[in-house]
Amino acid sequence: MEKTIDQICADALKEIETAKSKDSLNAVSLKYLSRKGIVTQFLRSISKLPPEERPKAGERANETKRLLEKAVEDAINSLDARSPAADSFIDVSLPGRSALPGSLHPITQITRQICDIFTRMGFDIAEGPEVESDYYNFEALNIPKYHPARDMQDTFYVSDNIVLRTHTSPIQVRVMEKRKPPLKVIAPGKVYRSDSDITHTPMFHQVEGLMVGENISFGNLKGILSNFVHLMFDEKTSLRFRPSFFPFTEPSAEVDILCVMCRGKGCRVCSHTGWLEVLGAGMVHPAVFENVGYDTSRITGFAFGMGVERITMLKYGIDDIRKFFENDFRFLRQF
Amino acid sequence: MKVSLSWLKDYVRIETDIHDLTSALTMAGLEVESIADPFDYLEKVVVGRIIEIKPHPNAGNLKICRVDAGDRILQVVCGAPNVKENLLAPLALPGTVLPDGSLLAECEIRGQTSEGMLCSERELELGEDGSGIMVLPGNLQAGCNIARAIGLSDYVLEIGLTPNRSDCLSVIGIAREIAAIQKFKIKYPDVRRPGKNKEIFDFTSVKIEAPEHCPRYAAALVADITVAPSPFWLRKRLISVGQRPINNIVDITNFIMLECGQPLHAFDFDLLAENRIVVRTATKGETFITLDRKERTLDPDMLMICDGKKPAAIAGVMGGLNSEIGSSTKRVLIESAYFNPLSIRKTSKKTGLSTEASYRFERGVDPGGTVKALVRAAGLVTEIGKGKSIKGIIDEYPLIQKTETIELSISATGRVLGTELDKSTIKSLLESIEFKVKNSGADTIKVTPPSFRVDIARPVDLMEEAARLYGYNRIPASLPLMQSETTQPLKTLALRENIKNIMTGLSFTETVNYSFICESSCDRLNLSSDDPKRRLLHVLNPLTEEQNVMRTSLVPGLLETMHRNLSQQTRNLNIFETGKMFLSKGNESLPEEIEMAAGLMTGGRYSQSWYENDADCDFYDIKGAVEGLLAGLNIDNVRFTKMPVELCSYTRYGYSAQIIAENKTIGIIGEVHPEVLGNFDLKQKAFIFELNCNTVLSLSGRDKTAGQLPKFPASTRDITIITDKNIEAMSVLEKINSIGEKLIENTHLFDIFEGASIPAGKRSVSIRITYRSSEKTLEDGEVNNIHKNITDRLTMEFGASLPV
Ligand SMILES: [Zn+2]
Repeated sequence: MEKTIDQICADALKEIETAKSKDSLNAVSLKYLSRKGIVTQFLRSISKLPPEERPKAGERANETKRLLEKAVEDAINSLDARSPAADSFIDVSLPGRSALPGSLHPITQITRQICDIFTRMGFDIAEGPEVESDYYNFEALNIPKYHPARDMQDTFYVSDNIVLRTHTSPIQVRVMEKRKPPLKVIAPGKVYRSDSDITHTPMFHQVEGLMVGENISFGNLKGILSNFVHLMFDEKTSLRFRPSFFPFTEPSAEVDILCVMCRGKGCRVCSHTGWLEVLGAGMVHPAVFENVGYDTSRITGFAFGMGVERITMLKYGIDDIRKFFENDFRFLRQF
Repeated sequence: MKVSLSWLKDYVRIETDIHDLTSALTMAGLEVESIADPFDYLEKVVVGRIIEIKPHPNAGNLKICRVDAGDRILQVVCGAPNVKENLLAPLALPGTVLPDGSLLAECEIRGQTSEGMLCSERELELGEDGSGIMVLPGNLQAGCNIARAIGLSDYVLEIGLTPNRSDCLSVIGIAREIAAIQKFKIKYPDVRRPGKNKEIFDFTSVKIEAPEHCPRYAAALVADITVAPSPFWLRKRLISVGQRPINNIVDITNFIMLECGQPLHAFDFDLLAENRIVVRTATKGETFITLDRKERTLDPDMLMICDGKKPAAIAGVMGGLNSEIGSSTKRVLIESAYFNPLSIRKTSKKTGLSTEASYRFERGVDPGGTVKALVRAAGLVTEIGKGKSIKGIIDEYPLIQKTETIELSISATGRVLGTELDKSTIKSLLESIEFKVKNSGADTIKVTPPSFRVDIARPVDLMEEAARLYGYNRIPASLPLMQSETTQPLKTLALRENIKNIMTGLSFTETVNYSFICESSCDRLNLSSDDPKRRLLHVLNPLTEEQNVMRTSLVPGLLETMHRNLSQQTRNLNIFETGKMFLSKGNESLPEEIEMAAGLMTGGRYSQSWYENDADCDFYDIKGAVEGLLAGLNIDNVRFTKMPVELCSYTRYGYSAQIIAENKTIGIIGEVHPEVLGNFDLKQKAFIFELNCNTVLSLSGRDKTAGQLPKFPASTRDITIITDKNIEAMSVLEKINSIGEKLIENTHLFDIFEGASIPAGKRSVSIRITYRSSEKTLEDGEVNNIHKNITDRLTMEFGASLPV
């Protein structure tokens, strides 16, 4: 008795499985599936069977043929996948079809970094109007009309009582009017001053911070700002606090960081002082607390403010503040 | 504020190195902004030895000198009568900028080369003698720099004073700080008290009619003076801090102001009508010519110093031409006053006149120093002006300025500063700057600030004084132990940040444009006369007319950014911005601030690529981006409806749409109108969108809930109908959805075709409908029936036909 079709199939599959190369697979294919192959021979031999057995045997033989063809093809493919033919490839260096992402404005990127640091410290974020009343921008912050401190900020006026906010500090007052201490808030946003040169633009961005409660001290202000500077720049960036004056804080301080360009040796960026002024800060002036109805015998707090452009320029080595608002695509795409 | 080191040394011992000194001042709150040498203009002036003198062949009054300049011998033409062989004199080399501003260069004088210039004292601003060359001591080395040779080097510190420190607007003020820092004693100039003899009342009187503006006014009189140039030491002091010497009398008043911070004014006494002073406010419309020869119109808020008949000075701001000190002045009345800072500030603002005097008065001068400054000035005028002092002074002081005593708690100081400073430390810190301190309790001291510290009013002011002198850097940093309530994040902020993230993911780059735009932008945007975007908020004092109003749309900024980039050959742009627009509600109220997001696309759809033919972007590119944005923001069921012609201003009619969600217009999208492109000088198409974030925030939105996933397979059927071209494809989809067939799971437009076999004015619309039941596998026959129904409905509704 000749082999049954099932035996032939099992033999062939075993040979396919053990074939290690394309050539040996082709040989298996030739042996079983070619015109003179074993399966083909078997098919031909069906005509010799009794008529009632022929359909079933034929179907079975054809099925086997398809199965083996597929097995050989799969084996070749899987061989290919492991050791491809030299002429089967694509140029993987060509750029992909999907569009590249756009970029966020550098000011957005740095504002986010600043806000992230403070929100991780538990500060809430508050915002406020960009066109402000004289009261919120000045009076409530202890800067009465005709006070020389008004000369510290060149103000854009809409009318005698309406100004473009010169700082984000009015948000302090708006927040304190609505909420009772303790509170920790930062306020990012656009501010406006009528000044324009290589280090000033009539619009720029600030982040203001406020922390108010019982027993909040100047030492705490130093602690929070040191922590911030170390995260924003690095651990090696030392800080110094210098006495200064802001009408809405007392004591007031300017905060300098060790020049990030020259590490204190002195360079053009730091005007050869080794220090860079990056923050204004101080203990909230009792007059401001009185304006919002806080009990100054119990409540103390600190406030600080920084220019986002200034920090961005230091972080990214940008030399002209006006570049931020020219929106030259070639500039923006670098960030 | 400028002070020179040598001047400071008149009042305080300074032993530290200049750099240590300046950094100590900076750390005490007096920020030293620069250090300069006032004599650096002498850099190229050396000691010259005249070796040989010959007459000038072409000019009898000139001589040709051979001068030893150290490393070489130069020929110098000189006309001075006192040139002598072997004489040492200052030799200015080519490149010297003389104090009068002229640049010295090698030149020919009457046919003879002059390789330098032998200088007089006056030419070098080193003295007043201009009669001949300056004769230098014979022991000097030729070629030495002159400033070093005669010990002129000095340092001038430029100090950036904060507005509260009016007490430091003087050399003595700075010296006082240095004394406190170095723990040395300050040496004030000797000023004798005015005597009992009041001879001055025989000559003049002072009447203060407006004491609230002028709490104190003192005057002294000196007769028989000679107006002349000031002596060298005085000129040198003034020049070192950048003041121009004028004459001895004016120079003395300036010197005293710089020395002790009290501005003074000198009147020519004989030009004062009735020889008396009346201090009163101006009458409305009164005019007055100030020293700068400008006529000023006065108003009733301005304080004037008048004589018996007319104004003679704008108090605290500027003197008048009618009583100016001149060469013929014989008698001077010197004024030393304490004016109300607010009054002077207002006058200065109104007249637009800011002077050294007004600057000091408006910040507050020492009300206790009025007389001291006057007596010192009168003494100097008598001495230097060679005059005769009239005995006694007038001191009208109707509104006494009191210094309040402040009680300071030691423990509160520690709490605020975050470090324990003991009582004796605080006491000695405050006493070092002349504060009077008394014990008043176990935990408290009573502190009386000196009269010159007009900025000290509250305990916190004392805490700052103690802290700054102690050293901010010695206060330890500590982290606060404070819990506060956390609030919900701001919705506007969250939306804005979300938009930024999605837009950058969609290949758009963020821009930030100025919030102010040019008023003409409204016209350039083709806005109709009643467009709400014409509700412009004007800035009263813009930097340029290009930035004179607050923006009422983000579009002008984007178009200008496009223009700037095209001019830099960046042709393909996908940009966006988020920010506020401002709609005015009148100049006396805050405007409506509306948070917007806007985007612009122009140029190629892709940057040139290997896989796609170049094509410019079109409406559907920006629409795709907006759809992506809205999907990212979870805003469903958005419709884009054709913008009515009356609403199209800067977008092109027929190519723009309103974006509608929950029946609210949340924004617009479209092609920028060709005329508007022209108005912005743009030569390629641009597509924009604008979203009103406030409206987006007002949408109720969709709750996120998990639904069941289908269990049974779907069947899809396609349908193509031929409709009029002007039937919006989406209306066909909406129709299908409106039929309400429950088995329809989804409809999807997959082809639009015009031309070829389609009749003119028509197009084919192909839609794939997905049918699915949640209960069973649908039978073909069932789906076919429903699909046929829908096909029939559509052909009927739209008068459509089916493709043959
Ligand atoms: Zn540096």
